[in-house]
Amino acid sequence: MAKVTDIVLWDKPGEKVLLLGNHAIARGALEANIAVYAAYPGTPSSELTDTMAAVAEKAGVYMEYSTNEKVAFETALSAAWSGLRAMTAMKHVGLNVAADTFMSAVGMGVEGGFVIMVADDPSMWSSQNEQDTRMYAKFANVPVLEPSSPHEAKEMTKYAFELSEKFKHFVILRTTTRSSHARGDVVLGELPEEIKTGKRKFGKFKKDPTRFVDIPAHSRKFHPLILEKIEKIREELNNCPFNWIEGKEDAKVGIIAPGLSYSYVKEALAWLGVEDVKILKLGTPFPVPYGLLEKFMDGLEKVLIVEELEPVVEEQVKTWAYDKGLRVPIHGKDLVPRVYEMTTRRAVEAIAKFLGIETPINFAEIDEKYEKVSQIVPPRPPSLCPACPHRNTFFAIRKAAGPKAIFPSDIGCYTLGVLPPLKTVDTTVAMGASIGVAHGLSIATNGSLAEKEYKGGKEKQIIVATIGDSTFFHTGLPALANAIYNRSNVLIVVLDNEVTAMTGDQPNPGTGQTPHGPGKRILIEEVARAMGADFVEVVDPYDIKATYETIKKALKVEGVSVVVSRQPCALYRIGQMRRRGEKWPIYHVIEDKCTGCKICINAYGCPAIYWDPETKKAKIDPSMCWGCGGCAQVCPFDAFEPMKEGE
Amino acid sequence: MREYNIVITGVGGQGILTAANLLGWAALHAGHKVRVGEVHGMSQRFGSVIAYVRFGEDVYGAMVPEGKADVILSFEPVEALRYINYLKKGGLVFTNARPIPPVQVSMGLATYPTLDEMKKIVEEDFGGKFMAFDAEKLALEAGNIVTTNVVLIGALSQTPGFPLSEEGIKEVIRISVPPKTIDVNMKAFELGVKAAKEMLGL
Ligand code: SF4
Ligand code: SF4
Repeated sequence: MAKVTDIVLWDKPGEKVLLLGNHAIARGALEANIAVYAAYPGTPSSELTDTMAAVAEKAGVYMEYSTNEKVAFETALSAAWSGLRAMTAMKHVGLNVAADTFMSAVGMGVEGGFVIMVADDPSMWSSQNEQDTRMYAKFANVPVLEPSSPHEAKEMTKYAFELSEKFKHFVILRTTTRSSHARGDVVLGELPEEIKTGKRKFGKFKKDPTRFVDIPAHSRKFHPLILEKIEKIREELNNCPFNWIEGKEDAKVGIIAPGLSYSYVKEALAWLGVEDVKILKLGTPFPVPYGLLEKFMDGLEKVLIVEELEPVVEEQVKTWAYDKGLRVPIHGKDLVPRVYEMTTRRAVEAIAKFLGIETPINFAEIDEKYEKVSQIVPPRPPSLCPACPHRNTFFAIRKAAGPKAIFPSDIGCYTLGVLPPLKTVDTTVAMGASIGVAHGLSIATNGSLAEKEYKGGKEKQIIVATIGDSTFFHTGLPALANAIYNRSNVLIVVLDNEVTAMTGDQPNPGTGQTPHGPGKRILIEEVARAMGADFVEVVDPYDIKATYETIKKALKVEGVSVVVSRQPCALYRIGQMRRRGEKWPIYHVIEDKCTGCKICINAYGCPAIYWDPETKKAKIDPSMCWGCGGCAQVCPFDAFEPMKEGE
Repeated sequence: MREYNIVITGVGGQGILTAANLLGWAALHAGHKVRVGEVHGMSQRFGSVIAYVRFGEDVYGAMVPEGKADVILSFEPVEALRYINYLKKGGLVFTNARPIPPVQVSMGLATYPTLDEMKKIVEEDFGGKFMAFDAEKLALEAGNIVTTNVVLIGALSQTPGFPLSEEGIKEVIRISVPPKTIDVNMKAFELGVKAAKEMLGL
């Protein structure tokens, strides 16, 4: 098991390796001779971006961590305009951020292949909503390719570049959590000479304002062109190597399975022991190629469409069938749930119902027994790591602002501050929304300092927003400008852990690091000062008392205050120390001093601290303590201290 | 072999994904078609974690369906119970015995079941076999607590009908871990093998 970054660059065509879906896509992009890659990290897309970052220099690819999906999109798009093969990647909600550019630029098309990888997260394992990118594809009239296995993900990536170049059109490569985060056997292909030798490629932009300036007079011409292109692509996809018909040729029943659903359907049919079916495997859920569909439907008496989330394929097939006057019953969302992710079980249940047969095992019985078990299994939601600086900041904010304060927060590890015992997150909506929401709440409850009617003072509603460093640069900046300009009364605490922690420690402008070496570091406090915030200070969250006092001070200020709470992400820091073979202090509880007050558990909640019901005292799991000393600061009885050597 | 399904569970940060990846590579080297399903992002932060390893001729999706796991390999006891609906009848639960009580338990908002209760549920309600042993102690004995996952994999390799060879797995571990930790890891593996043999009466 070699390092992924080595495997992705291996010059070993034909070698079979085990790769994560996202790694396979990176390899596919390299096999396609990609020149420019730009993205903002977002689970489940991040490993693609990180892999590109790790190999960029060796492969001669320009790669950047952009500050958000929209600018990433624009960076890659411009490269594609300049004739280079370019790619951007994001999670589904990232496409919302990039949507403004996406929707407007699609009519302009591209010169070099342009692939937009979008990773959906059905069931919302790490996301704020569940949206189906295929709807966007349809909305924008952009073809979408969806792999059914890691190997196919790699092959499809190459094909996506070719398709894009052939039609000078955008192409979306859509994955889901289960394809991005699944490992499977992948057969390596050839790497182009330029990638092998690490030759950086440069493009040339040919000016054409009638194409690249979307004033109404120009854009009016785009729309019919887009519609024409997508129908041509629909034709082309009849011959797409990722679309095919399989199974019994003279079968009377058919199943249409796009993307990853194909793998669930295959598994379900094997489990059910059903062989008398025809399958239309669709790598292109939009646009559905009608020629192939026609061939598939021939002789069928009923059809089931097994697709995840929205009925994107179903609607196309039904519309087509209606226009053809076809009277074949077409099932889909009546048998397959429209919410949450597809599973083999769901496919089995849908197909069993469709065919009027029994499921191979009694799922209801398992559910019933499991229901009993789930009553006695204690919940274990994710939590802030031991020694996470955010825990201290939240603890200090809660104490300083009091329980009546409102706490708008944002997207990142720190969203976990919503859970007990910290409970310092009252709203999270989307990237950067904490500041916008805090401002709006302040206007609604306090009014604006710019208003003639402003009274403020006595019953001021305390509002403390929290936002991470990467999120601050992502979409916090315009919201901060807005709050300062319109003069609301809020405290914004920037949780600066000097890395984009939740998605895997990517750098951002606050760290100043880029994949190519040092960039320029932008300090959040300087930005806030330059924007005209009424109070700006930097604190060390490992000093809880000082943090608390600064927050107290900031809360007295009328206007927009910004406190930057800076201490590196503990997971990141410990990871680095481990690699360097360094040790850190481990704390323990002095039993005689612990009175069992449980403040460390009920108000602070470091996961390394647990309750010993026998001694009725707090205890520390030494394998989990990362030595921040926070517990020693919150314990009123000085019961925590670092262990001495050999203890 | 059509398919073999392993569910690996535990608490985020325990090295579950590494274990899944190791087993995946061992299966690939043995010539199988392989799928490994993982969770990333938020769910990894000290929360409950599940990973899937599947191999054989007939594997497609990366998730093991409910009622189809041959083995649940658990790094923490209650996490085995949390995913017990994946176990097939006659399947085996192999778990590290040391509990990590969730914050909710420490806060007094929930209780933690005993090993005996867990065993009863697995065996009586789900028709499986339940075995718990102190893998962490063995990892410490081998020289490093982080090799707990290797102890567990060693034990797994001894379960009846397990399709991957001991040597094949060891080879993947040897080429995967940092060179100076090879010995510790091999020792951890052996201790896992020994513990399983004792438990299974081999
Ligand atoms: S990864 Fe870093 S920022 Fe996230 S919870 Fe852990 S310590 Fe905190
Ligand atoms: S020092 Fe205390 S608060 Fe910090 S990680 Fe260790 S147990 Fe947790």
